[in-house]
Amino acid sequence: MRNVDMKMHIRGRSVFVDDIPAQEGLLHAVLFLSPIAKGTIEKLDISKANKAEGVAGVFVGKDIPGPNQIGHMIPDQPLFAEKEIQYAGQPIAMVVAESKHLAKKALKLIELQVKEEEGVFEPREAFKSGMIHAAPRVITAGDLDSAWSKCEYIVEGKAHNGPQEHFYFETQRALAVPGEDDTMKVYASVQSPGAFQHHIAEILNIPMHKVELEIRRLGGAFGGKESTAIWAVAPALAAKLLNRPVKMVLGRNEDIATSGKRHPYEFDYKMGLDKDGKILAYQVDLYQQAGAFADISLAVLGRSFLHVSSSYFIPNLKAMAVSCKTNLPSNNAFRGFGVPQGVFVIETAIEHASEVMGVDPSVIKRKNLLQDGDFLPYGMQLEKTNAIRCWEELDRRSGGIARRIKTIEAYNKANTETKKGISVVPVCFGISFAQTALNQGSALANIYADGSVSVSTGAVEMGQGVNMKIALIAAKALSIGKDKVRVETTNTSRIPNASPTSASTGADLNGMAAKMACDTLYKRLQVFAAKKFNHNNPDEISIRDEIVYLKSAKTDYKWEQLIHEAYWDRTDLGCRAFYATPGVYIDRKTERGRPFAYYSYGTSITEVTLDCIRGTYDIDSVDVVHDVGVSLSHNIDKGQIEGAIIQAIGWSTMEQIKYNSKGKMLTAVNSYKIPDIKFCPKEFNVYILENSLNPYAVSNSKAVGEPPFIHGLGAYFALVRALRSFRKDKPLPASLPITPEKAFMYLYE
Amino acid sequence: MLKFIVNDKILETNAHPGTILIDYLRDELKLYGTKEGCKEGECGACTVLAGTLDDKGNISYKSVASCILPIGDVNGSHIVSIEGVNQEELNTIQKAIFDYSASQCGFCTPGIVLSLTYFALSSSEFSYKDAEDALDGNLCRCTGYVAIRNAAKALSDLLKTKSRDMNKRIDVLLEAGVLPSYFAQIPQKLKKLNASSASSPSAKARIIAGGTDLFVQIPDQLVESDLKFISERKDLNYIRVDGNCIRIGAATSLEDFRNSCAVNKYFPFMKDDVLLHSSMILRNKATLAGNIVNASPIGDITIMLLALNASIVIDGNGKTREIALDKFYKDYKKFDLSEGEIIKEILVPFMNEGVLYNFEKVSNRKILDIAAVNSSILIETNGMDIAALRISAGGVASIPLMIGGLDNFRGKEISYETVNKLAEYVVSQVAPIDDVRGSANYKKLLIRQLIFAHFNKLFGVKVCAGEGC
Ligand SMILES: Cc1cc2nc3c(=O)[nH]c(=O)nc-3n(C[C@H](O)[C@H](O)[C@H](O)COP(=O)(O)OP(=O)(O)OC[C@H]3O[C@@H](n4cnc5c(N)ncnc54)[C@H](O)[C@@H]3O)c2cc1C
Ligand code: FES
Ligand code: FES
Repeated sequence: MRNVDMKMHIRGRSVFVDDIPAQEGLLHAVLFLSPIAKGTIEKLDISKANKAEGVAGVFVGKDIPGPNQIGHMIPDQPLFAEKEIQYAGQPIAMVVAESKHLAKKALKLIELQVKEEEGVFEPREAFKSGMIHAAPRVITAGDLDSAWSKCEYIVEGKAHNGPQEHFYFETQRALAVPGEDDTMKVYASVQSPGAFQHHIAEILNIPMHKVELEIRRLGGAFGGKESTAIWAVAPALAAKLLNRPVKMVLGRNEDIATSGKRHPYEFDYKMGLDKDGKILAYQVDLYQQAGAFADISLAVLGRSFLHVSSSYFIPNLKAMAVSCKTNLPSNNAFRGFGVPQGVFVIETAIEHASEVMGVDPSVIKRKNLLQDGDFLPYGMQLEKTNAIRCWEELDRRSGGIARRIKTIEAYNKANTETKKGISVVPVCFGISFAQTALNQGSALANIYADGSVSVSTGAVEMGQGVNMKIALIAAKALSIGKDKVRVETTNTSRIPNASPTSASTGADLNGMAAKMACDTLYKRLQVFAAKKFNHNNPDEISIRDEIVYLKSAKTDYKWEQLIHEAYWDRTDLGCRAFYATPGVYIDRKTERGRPFAYYSYGTSITEVTLDCIRGTYDIDSVDVVHDVGVSLSHNIDKGQIEGAIIQAIGWSTMEQIKYNSKGKMLTAVNSYKIPDIKFCPKEFNVYILENSLNPYAVSNSKAVGEPPFIHGLGAYFALVRALRSFRKDKPLPASLPITPEKAFMYLYE
Repeated sequence: MLKFIVNDKILETNAHPGTILIDYLRDELKLYGTKEGCKEGECGACTVLAGTLDDKGNISYKSVASCILPIGDVNGSHIVSIEGVNQEELNTIQKAIFDYSASQCGFCTPGIVLSLTYFALSSSEFSYKDAEDALDGNLCRCTGYVAIRNAAKALSDLLKTKSRDMNKRIDVLLEAGVLPSYFAQIPQKLKKLNASSASSPSAKARIIAGGTDLFVQIPDQLVESDLKFISERKDLNYIRVDGNCIRIGAATSLEDFRNSCAVNKYFPFMKDDVLLHSSMILRNKATLAGNIVNASPIGDITIMLLALNASIVIDGNGKTREIALDKFYKDYKKFDLSEGEIIKEILVPFMNEGVLYNFEKVSNRKILDIAAVNSSILIETNGMDIAALRISAGGVASIPLMIGGLDNFRGKEISYETVNKLAEYVVSQVAPIDDVRGSANYKKLLIRQLIFAHFNKLFGVKVCAGEGC
């Protein structure tokens, strides 16, 4: 089974926001951005721009009918800066004109005078001066203080990870069309229907029921369209003020320069192990580079924080995590949502310990893998743990982990101009929104009189294949062909208060709701058919492959006829259902609870070759075993796994962002490099773990969007191994990514 | 008035020749299948095909980035967008993409279909390698490429069962369900098109060769300027062997250069080395001359040509002159070319028997990236001694640098010690700066290593560094 839209994609017929044919009177909006990272606005003169050719209006903060506020989790972010400037690229005004070209020309006529102040760009520095978005979170397990004395080995160090640009192919964009009675219809490329509808209503100062947000599909999102509402709200504001349709489409460089990234973190770690390599103690501090506003950073931090122990059982632990406020664009969600950072630091600590112990890191990893009955730091006891199963399956599938490591060691002994590196990375990834309230989904299933079915949910299709999964779930529940099911756009008038499609929960929550709605419809059809057959037990009626069965006997009553007659008999053929994941919670005072419904597991082995003359490298192979429960669609899941891993390999290796000393981004599309077809590992084998049942999600499946991202860290750690086999006289590298420049400087500086 | 064919329709327009093709397709023609991902030639989402006739009336197609291509350049050509390869059902290429689930969000997919169509049209052997090369400018953020690779492999295998006769390629692809039937009539239609020149007669007109540099730098300005299109100079589109050198006309694209029989015979390394320049959809347009005049200190082609001792023939202001490329550059983006002059051709002397050459480029991403540092070497040996030596280095000075003063190394035996001295000498001649491609210190250390890399590759000189040696 493939993505429902695939045939249209391949023929260029899928309609994205910018492909909606222009309405009569369409205007184009562009933002006027702050040239400095910190300071105050002394003078802003828009009069010349207002009079420029083709300009319909220039708007600033005071033109906003509602509060000038779009903060996602806490109300700290204005749509337009009015006095204080918090980051370079912060919107100050908006020009709306007949064409984008004219709007861009008019931008140059806006006169701005600012008083520049020195910004803060480093999280540790921000933390020291008290610039934080919320009080630090601290979690403890066991008795850390007395555990240290029992350790044979103790390692300690600092680590750092860099940012990552989402580089969704379709940049941020929205089209707003004003309607009768002060309503506003917004077609947007966003992941959070409910939240964005709310932001738009607030800014326009109208009730939410007057805002209809319509989302057909996104050209990629990866978390980058989940929380920062600027680019959906701004065109709606212009449309409201001018009473004309307005479109805003970011150019790639503006998108790179002003949108949030995966959060960089600074870490301090300390790990203690016994003489056999059992981890006894682990202490870690996480300083999150959040940027100017809280945006969704606190939720991301929460996930990093809850995943600091990754796939390992750690009896004594203490973690501190804090979100630091800096003068950069607010960072936001990105596939993995903080988990990759939490995993990165413990993997670094293990790497460090393995060197001190003189063993391969995989030995320590295997020894400490989670098992049934183990407790996670927040007090949750594990069951149905697949960490070891995945590891062993990989061992079997990949030609033996220990043997592969030996081969690499031999290669490195024999070669000086190239070195190889290999790394095994296990994954244990909690599924659910860490923010309990978001764990809800709803669906509306309609059967039309001709037997065709439409399903609406709060899930947003962004290439991850959620619509196909929902179509399959609905088709199975009704036992009809999936071609009979159409998954509708995500629309706030049909589905209220929809949670973001993120945290890999899109199919879990919305699929479950869709199943519940279809199950109810199925029951109604059973009742109707029983009545028709004069049979007293509706449970003995079934539908199989579009044919009605009575007590397991096939009738000649077909789906279309059944529906047709059910309609004339006045059966309710529309149904709405609601699902809330049961039992997930976390007590923020004690940091104890059950924040996740279940866990996704996996293990991978990654091999790289480093060119020690040039500092360049190739990722030679990735073998991965991943647990997706009972796969809803093998094709889609495999695609998600491959895509996530390559994206993470990009983050681990070539994806880097440079700022100047004043917080201005230097990186643009011509220097932000994402993996290309030739960089993709020559060998790439994905095995889906068999016989994994998951009672906590729809049809025994498991979420797959984010967890495999962790495997991509294998490229980083394999490179570390290769670098170390060339140079041991330096400290262990502990800064992700390893770009060719960083690799080279490690080798030769 | 510009005239061209878009898919199966003949079009005429008075739009400015500097109008960008993707804007024209989407805004004027409402063909929304072509996607814009970056508008700088970096992603491939906007890939379309441009077909032109040669003097024999044969049509040949190139994949191009429509986001940096002015419509003046495609005047008289056949443009094929995704809408133009669609048939009743998925075509053979589309089917391969479907079968292997090589599309997720779908935004990059039309571009991938067109690049694979270019592969089918242009690859002599339908090899998978050619398919991968054809896709080197098509990024995808969703799939991770594994599925795209599998689709391309399947396509290559399927096409290998067909006739590889290049003279019948269009017919073969019509038969194979790759192209829709209207392609058969396109050559006839193009012949009758009779488009007049898109170039401005003004002496001050901006020269556009491939446009791959200019339309990234100043697109908004160009759509309001007078333009002169080098691609109209069919007389400058040639590669000729002449005595003991090869002459390359200024209108020659990098891909035509890379695939030329003469180039492959006399400079066989170019086939692979030129692949390190940009990507297929750019190399199909970008010219050698454009790379030279662009005067980027890091220009790959320029660095290659410098070491090869190329010279350029300049026409204009009533005279023709020839100048050695290593005398051409004066200072950052300053060079010996006056207003009214154009580069007509580039001369590359053959390498004498026994002379060796090597090109090195290190960039953050190996493919489709600007180098941090690049370098070429041309070396003649006498036994194990250096007899003559030319080294160029990019990214380490304000101009593409020819390292001077290498005569001192003549007669020196090729050994670790000599190479070490040479590397140190080269380092003493450079002055790189910090920029997004890397720190000055990195570039300095890197050029040193690249000198070693040259000798390591050509002579197996061991690079002694680090532990274990
Ligand atoms: C995505 C991308 C990737 C790139 N990657 C690389 C790379 O890897 N390596 C690299 O070296 N470059 C790269 N470039 C830069 C550029 O593509 C090359 O420099 C290319 O060779 C320029 O050729 P062109 O014909 O397109 O030049 P144009 O843009 O047409 O012209 C460049 C300049 O040369 C002048 N000019 C062109 N022809 C003549 C002539 N015959 N006589 C006089 N003046 C002339 C033009 O007026 C203009 O000033 C890249 C560019 C992009 C957009
Ligand atoms: S839009 Fe990215 S290459 Fe043209
Ligand atoms: S499928 Fe989304 S970018 Fe390729």
